[in-house]
Amino acid sequence: MTLDHRVEIIPKIETGIVIDHIPAGLGPRILEVIRSTPGLQGVVVSLGLNFASTRLGVKDMIKVHTGDLPDRVLEHLSLVAPGVTIKRVRDFAVDRSYTLAPPRVLRSLCRCRNPNCLSNHEEGVESRFHAFEIPSDTGELTRYRCAFCERVFSLQELDIMPLESA
Amino acid sequence: MKRDLISANELTSADLAMYLELAGRVEALPSERKRMLLPGRILMAMFFEPSTRTRLSFEAAMVRLGGNALGFSDIAGTSITKGESFLDTVHTVENYADILVIRHSREGAARVAAEASRLPVINAGDGTNQHPSQTLLDLYTIHKLFGRIAGLRIALVGDLKYSRTVHSLFKALCLYPDVEFTLVSPPSLRMPAYLLPGGSRPQASETVVWTEHRVHETAELRQAVASCDLIYMTRIQKERFPDPVEYARLKGTYRLDAHMLRGAAPTLRILHPLPRVDEIACDVDATPHAAWFEQVANGLIMRQAILLHLLGVEP
Repeated sequence: MTLDHRVEIIPKIETGIVIDHIPAGLGPRILEVIRSTPGLQGVVVSLGLNFASTRLGVKDMIKVHTGDLPDRVLEHLSLVAPGVTIKRVRDFAVDRSYTLAPPRVLRSLCRCRNPNCLSNHEEGVESRFHAFEIPSDTGELTRYRCAFCERVFSLQELDIMPLESA
Repeated sequence: MKRDLISANELTSADLAMYLELAGRVEALPSERKRMLLPGRILMAMFFEPSTRTRLSFEAAMVRLGGNALGFSDIAGTSITKGESFLDTVHTVENYADILVIRHSREGAARVAAEASRLPVINAGDGTNQHPSQTLLDLYTIHKLFGRIAGLRIALVGDLKYSRTVHSLFKALCLYPDVEFTLVSPPSLRMPAYLLPGGSRPQASETVVWTEHRVHETAELRQAVASCDLIYMTRIQKERFPDPVEYARLKGTYRLDAHMLRGAAPTLRILHPLPRVDEIACDVDATPHAAWFEQVANGLIMRQAILLHLLGVEP
């Protein structure tokens, strides 16, 4: 069975969003995000697991029968699974495709991991992190500074908030 | 647009030069002239944590510029004990003043206040994060002592993990070219890696050279006495330690005394943000190295400069 045949196990969609190149195992988590989003609970979603991938070796894939995903959902997904490919499908053809990258400013997407940061204690304070680059042996690494306590974190260290509370 | 002073992280070289120049002009003004600069202005000192120098020097700075100072130095007498939120407190007291000076045990408190309030906000210390007015007065003192800051060999000694004065000062000093740092601390109180230039600590190396700065980390104070122009001592801060046993183990790790300073370069100067506990013996006070009370005096001048700048008044 060729790679194309495996992908076709999920039916083509006429209009919607394909989330491709999901690292294997993350598909159910992304599905959970979509299904918890107001306005998306009723839409048709197809999830495929463990497809062969030339880029990742093994990947998951999701197809959502909706016009567009809200920006808020895309921002959240960019933290849960940075690097996935978002393909917008119209009339069975991909009319836009891009790699999902975390925004440079994360607003109300993560909690600060510093337990003494006031943003974790004061109601009404929206958490905020600003991206910046630091040099490393392998080029540049992106780090995020809490706008309040100024602690610095990698993306993996950030505590992602559930979408419904973000 | 209103001006705030929240973090050394957002001060540029030009900002530092401006504050030093402004403080020099303020210092040169006669007292009677100073009293005419901020008449009718009110400073609100919101100290959720104890303070002697910072609060009193900000209040004295305002009074000597012709203004008034109100505030609290203990939350016991405020509605915070009834459960009022920090932001509600800020929104309430901003109606009574022209500028807010805030000290709080939680990191980020001053930033939260600055983003919420229409008034200028000065961070007088937020947890272990920043203390920028202390940094500016430290820089002013260093500049007065040496006539320059660039190229100095500076040792930061003691609690480099929790000390907000050190965190602020280190970031600001990194804006001056060719400053050489010796970071002296017990291994468990080293400077947090996120504050180091580059944001991380290379392993298996005590000395790290970045583009413009040489940073040497050690646990040995004597070496710094012999090789530096300036020693910046700090207290091991009991109130910051989550574990009292760990504090008991580390307190008294470093103690400068006159005997240790025998043989030091006559030009060596010692600063301390105060309060000191036992890290500098009283017999050092009479040596030419001691400069911390001069530092305190400069604090009043620099805080006058900060108030004038943030309130948009030219001396």
